[in-house]
Amino acid sequence: MMIKFLGLDVDANNVMVLGPPLSGKSILVRNIVYEKVLEGFGGIYVTTKDTAEDVLRTMEDVDVKVVDCVSKTIFSDAPDTENIKRVSIMDLTGISVRINAFLEEFWKSGRRDVVMVFDSVSTVLMYLNPQMVFRFLHVLTNRMKSFGAFAFYTVDEGMHDEKVVAMLKQLLSGVIELRDDGNSRFFRYISPSKRMEWRRFDIEGREVVIS
Amino acid sequence: MRLGIPVLDELLGRVPRGKTVTYSIDPEVEGDVFGMQTLYMNLEEGYECAYVTSTMSPESIRNRFKEFGWSVDDFKNFSIVDLYSRYVGAISKERYVVEDPTNLKEIDRIMSRAIEENDLIVFGSLSTILDVCGNETLDYFEEWKDLSKKCVIVSNFTVWPYPNEVLGRVMDLSNAVINIGGIHHRVVLGHYYGILKVDWTDVRGRAVLFKVIKPGGVRAYIPKILVTGPFNAGKTTFVHAISKEAISVDRLGTTVALDHGKVEYKGFTIDIFGTPGQERFDPILRVLGGEALGVILVVDSTKPETFPRAKQMLEKTTKFGLPYVIAANKQDQPKALKPDEIRRLMCLPDDVPIIPTVATEGKGVYEVLDALISLLIGGGYGKLEGKA
Ligand SMILES: Nc1nc2c(ncn2[C@@H]2O[C@H](COP(=O)(O)OP(=O)(O)OP(=O)(O)O)[C@@H](O)[C@H]2O)c(=O)[nH]1
Ligand SMILES: [Mg+2]
Repeated sequence: MMIKFLGLDVDANNVMVLGPPLSGKSILVRNIVYEKVLEGFGGIYVTTKDTAEDVLRTMEDVDVKVVDCVSKTIFSDAPDTENIKRVSIMDLTGISVRINAFLEEFWKSGRRDVVMVFDSVSTVLMYLNPQMVFRFLHVLTNRMKSFGAFAFYTVDEGMHDEKVVAMLKQLLSGVIELRDDGNSRFFRYISPSKRMEWRRFDIEGREVVIS
Repeated sequence: MRLGIPVLDELLGRVPRGKTVTYSIDPEVEGDVFGMQTLYMNLEEGYECAYVTSTMSPESIRNRFKEFGWSVDDFKNFSIVDLYSRYVGAISKERYVVEDPTNLKEIDRIMSRAIEENDLIVFGSLSTILDVCGNETLDYFEEWKDLSKKCVIVSNFTVWPYPNEVLGRVMDLSNAVINIGGIHHRVVLGHYYGILKVDWTDVRGRAVLFKVIKPGGVRAYIPKILVTGPFNAGKTTFVHAISKEAISVDRLGTTVALDHGKVEYKGFTIDIFGTPGQERFDPILRVLGGEALGVILVVDSTKPETFPRAKQMLEKTTKFGLPYVIAANKQDQPKALKPDEIRRLMCLPDDVPIIPTVATEGKGVYEVLDALISLLIGGGYGKLEGKA
């Protein structure tokens, strides 16, 4: 099983998107969802940094399901809609249940190609201890595998203990690394069976463009 | 006091004061409604009830209750123990507020007061307190349990893949444990609950499938399994062999409507529907497939020429992603093909169970059901098991 985008052949169901703050992780994963949903994939976006409305504004005219872990955590309670389910970031069970509800919806409507984004794991690690976050990701990554979905989890480089990142890598067998040397941005994909060279990219508006 | 959950109330009767009840919840199943329902039903009975929130704001909790049609604020006997607001730096006007929800000593001080002043305490998520405060939480929980001679403590506990010591301890600290599990097959297709442990009455394990209705809460229902297969394969015979009671509408030896039977199986009651085999009834297949939890495909092992039709029926009924097993029927006949040959001729993947049966003698029929149910119920996470 593989998924292709931006010239990458990703061969892992669970992929960490690792890079320093502002290196373009969110824009990259949004591009993945956008591109794949246009191709007919089911798309799920779990957001811990921007509200559902903010996320959807950057992806107009595609049908993306959002699990919004922001609105209920900080602002006052807001109702769910058909495409938006809101849950507090402290409520990992709630997050897990909402993701599964969207998966079930896709499954029952016959949709088998699904892409999910979790942006970002780093926020969850600010609220809950690493062990708990691993347990949560253990369950989630298994679900993605057994469904056959492709999931991308953003992680801020340099924010966490090296041990934490090493443990995350055990669950997320593919890694997209991002780098920014001040002038240009680069990314590459590494998995147990693949290792590619750094490739340059630019961000034009909301779009990721390969140079 | 009662739990306020269908079937459980009949089996468990009243929960004596001083008892702790744990809803042990699969992390992929919407199970928090169980604790909420128990609280609301007892609120209506006039008991003093407190809900401990550690995963969402008091406002969100009230709205969550409202999703089920339960407006808790109409009740003077309702209060919230707020372990959330201060954690995210918000202010709180609740009756019980813990200033530092990471500090067990302070939680203990407030909890002791709440236990003193209420008939029922419901932990919205005991596992989250454990995650935030560490395993020591369970030492305190043991003290609260000892303190609660007059009151009942009910907890939602999400069974993440915790170490076994932790799960064992939670089991030991509970007078009753209700397991709330998922039926997993690529996605979570259904939910069930069953009694894992209870120490104040004697009950046999019994499992119930449920749906969460908004408004309404937990509703039990009877799952359906579809028995399909080509003309004359033995479906009607199969349904009768497996059911305690069954009816069929046959004309001249062929089924013209549905076979219907009820099976008691490991505590579940299951509705079994046998479909007609003739093509003119195919539209029914699709409708039934949408409602069922799993499919049993009966084939006549002596008739490979019917296999393409069998495959077609399978596709019609499992279009929605249902799990299925094959009953390789009429194995008493000399010309019957073995499961491996059937797998090859039908091009079925290796992980699809193919079970030899002789429906007329009832041979193998329960093995077929076993195989299907284990496809359905396997794959959950660290259930609280063992010492029940
Ligand atoms: N030898 C043998 N005969 C069987 C077996 N199972 C069913 N039969 C016979 O096969 C014939 C058809 O059985 P049914 O159960 O009516 O088949 P069905 O699949 O319901 O048929 P339709 O509803 O017409 O599609 C009957 O004569 C059964 O007695 C078996 O395991 N061995
Ligand atoms: Mg029949």
